[in-house]
Amino acid sequence: MNTKDLLSQLIRLERSLNDFSFEELTTAEASHLKKSFQAFRVSLENKIFTPSSSFLNDTEIDTPADVILPEDPKKKEIKPPSADMLVAKVSHEIRTPLNGIIGFTDLLKEDELTSMQLERVNAIQTASYSLMDIINELLEYSKLSAGLEQFESIDFNLNSVVDNVMYLCDTLIIGKNIELITTIDKDIPMGLVGDPSKLSQVLLNLVGNAVKFVEEGSIILSIELIKQRGNKLFLAFSIADTGIGISENSLAHIFDAYKQAEYDTQAKYGGSGLGLSIVKQIIDTLGGEISVFSKLGEGTTFRFMLPFQKGSIENIVKVAAASGITSDVLEEVAGMHILVFEDNVINQKLIAQRLKSWKCKTYVTDNALYGLNLLETNPIDMVLMDLKMPGMNGFEVTQLIRNSKIKSVLEIPIIAVSADFSYQDRENCQQNKINDFILKPYSPDELLTKLVKNKNRMKTTLTIESKTINPAVELYTDATKINLSVILEDCLGQMDLLEELILLYKQNALEFIGIVKLNLDKDDLDEIAFAAHKIKSGLAMLQSKSLHIIVEQIQAICKANGDRKHLMFLHNCFIDEYPLVENAIDEQIKALKNN
Amino acid sequence: MEKKKLLLAEDDELLASLLNFRLVKGGYEVKVSSDGRAVKEHLAEHTPDLIISDIMMPYFSGIELIDYVRKELNLNTPIIIISSAGNEENVLTAFELGANDFISKPISPSELIVRIKRELLKV
Repeated sequence: MNTKDLLSQLIRLERSLNDFSFEELTTAEASHLKKSFQAFRVSLENKIFTPSSSFLNDTEIDTPADVILPEDPKKKEIKPPSADMLVAKVSHEIRTPLNGIIGFTDLLKEDELTSMQLERVNAIQTASYSLMDIINELLEYSKLSAGLEQFESIDFNLNSVVDNVMYLCDTLIIGKNIELITTIDKDIPMGLVGDPSKLSQVLLNLVGNAVKFVEEGSIILSIELIKQRGNKLFLAFSIADTGIGISENSLAHIFDAYKQAEYDTQAKYGGSGLGLSIVKQIIDTLGGEISVFSKLGEGTTFRFMLPFQKGSIENIVKVAAASGITSDVLEEVAGMHILVFEDNVINQKLIAQRLKSWKCKTYVTDNALYGLNLLETNPIDMVLMDLKMPGMNGFEVTQLIRNSKIKSVLEIPIIAVSADFSYQDRENCQQNKINDFILKPYSPDELLTKLVKNKNRMKTTLTIESKTINPAVELYTDATKINLSVILEDCLGQMDLLEELILLYKQNALEFIGIVKLNLDKDDLDEIAFAAHKIKSGLAMLQSKSLHIIVEQIQAICKANGDRKHLMFLHNCFIDEYPLVENAIDEQIKALKNN
Repeated sequence: MEKKKLLLAEDDELLASLLNFRLVKGGYEVKVSSDGRAVKEHLAEHTPDLIISDIMMPYFSGIELIDYVRKELNLNTPIIIISSAGNEENVLTAFELGANDFISKPISPSELIVRIKRELLKV
């Protein structure tokens, strides 16, 4: 992968766009798409053709970019940022408009298109996605090279990591006659301390790579304990495939950036050619070593060694002793309704697929209010709660659930899901009445065990409740937490100005309620989004956090042209919440005046 | 000394009132415009010493405003952009088009005043 490839991808993308006749389509999406693309191209061109990034013109970065050549006096004054730093920054910037392109292409597809147009839109989308993949790898690679990547050192379960990787790879070999085999040395303790997500990434990359190059045969992942010194463990991982193999010539350069084994490899197998360099970077950084053996036509074996610490069993959720999934257990979970709070799209898909295969009905959301609404309106048996979500975190969402006025909702079993559990987290779990927890990444077995265990708990503690919906659910109780002293300070202590602002605030809020109602009826989401934007800064000024969150969600849904029912629900939330906030503000004003 | 003239383009009345109050207190002459058309009309006849503009405004966005001031009117009047959280890419565009500084919501009026002073000192 080099600049030329990036540009040629870009030209391909542009050609698809030009082929696409925008005159036929007068939709706003089409013009947005074109704008996004132009902005993208301009920013990319600027980055590539400005002198400070001239290093990009070469296929390989042989000399570090911050080496300043003595014969160039002009360059001496400004020390250019390191190449990797710059690439990391640029890739990041490129992703934003590219996301725009992908998003609007998605929107375009919802319009009524002729089959010719649909084909072209699909071409744009395919090109955009492959460009995105390349950029993601480029970003990852440069972040690693520039030392910007953060490494973790946490307790994890080796079995779960391997299971998860293999589970994903299973989905990759569909349609091929490949056997995936895993063997793990019995002497390896399952609880380790290290970076599970980096290990997953390395394994996924190497096994995924093997899947790419094997048409028929086997891929064997074996893990051995090669040395143990006190708490320190050295593990050897080997990934052996029966694929096409790599020639001796190419082997020498296999871990170099931007080099795939053969010139035509990229055309046939795709990818940026950065995968293996990323793997090597990660292993080097973790203090390990990687090597490769291969013979053309016979197969390839990657072998790497990594150090880990022995984990304290305390922090690890133990794997149910190699039980395997029995039909009894499956019968027990079949038909369960499970609500999953999860923000990562890949994880969302993964878990939905898993639960579906166990015949569970699954609801997935990353949105607290919507999730709560689902709980109140559907016969849900259990909640899986990712603790780390943007916006409201898992503990906050759990609090909402535990404060519900509906008995079946407030007593629902909740299983917390997290990549690491500190003692603090565990205490929080107890305080928030979270029933159980499971460590990410978890194996299907582990999840199943948790589901069964908590389902039985549910049977004994829950009574059947009527499923009537209580519309006046108190969503937030922080209306009383409003603190006007900051804004009063901004007003230099002038009460009349503050009161004037509050009058405006009240007018705006009521106006907002009206505008949303009106435009919900007209189905004009743009207007709603704009009204939401307009009211937001006022809400922030008067510290109306609860209303602010609701409005932010309204705005997000409008921008994504999302679910109207969800919008209506949020609108009602706003209507319910607003009087509480107004009350709190009036109380505060009274108090401030008396002081 | 004559008062410096500021143009404040902000469609949020709440924020506009507060900022107007603080800026006038701070010794500036302030013209508040709540939409892009009014901003354009005002600029046709007056040349402020500094412009503060929200990025998102009806009829005429802050981005368009910068472009208009720099390219059409050919003025190098300092421009401070008010952005909302999550709008970082717009800020980059704003800088590329010639904005001098930016401040994110929620806005501290005192911080804005310091930024205004700094920009005016540079002129």
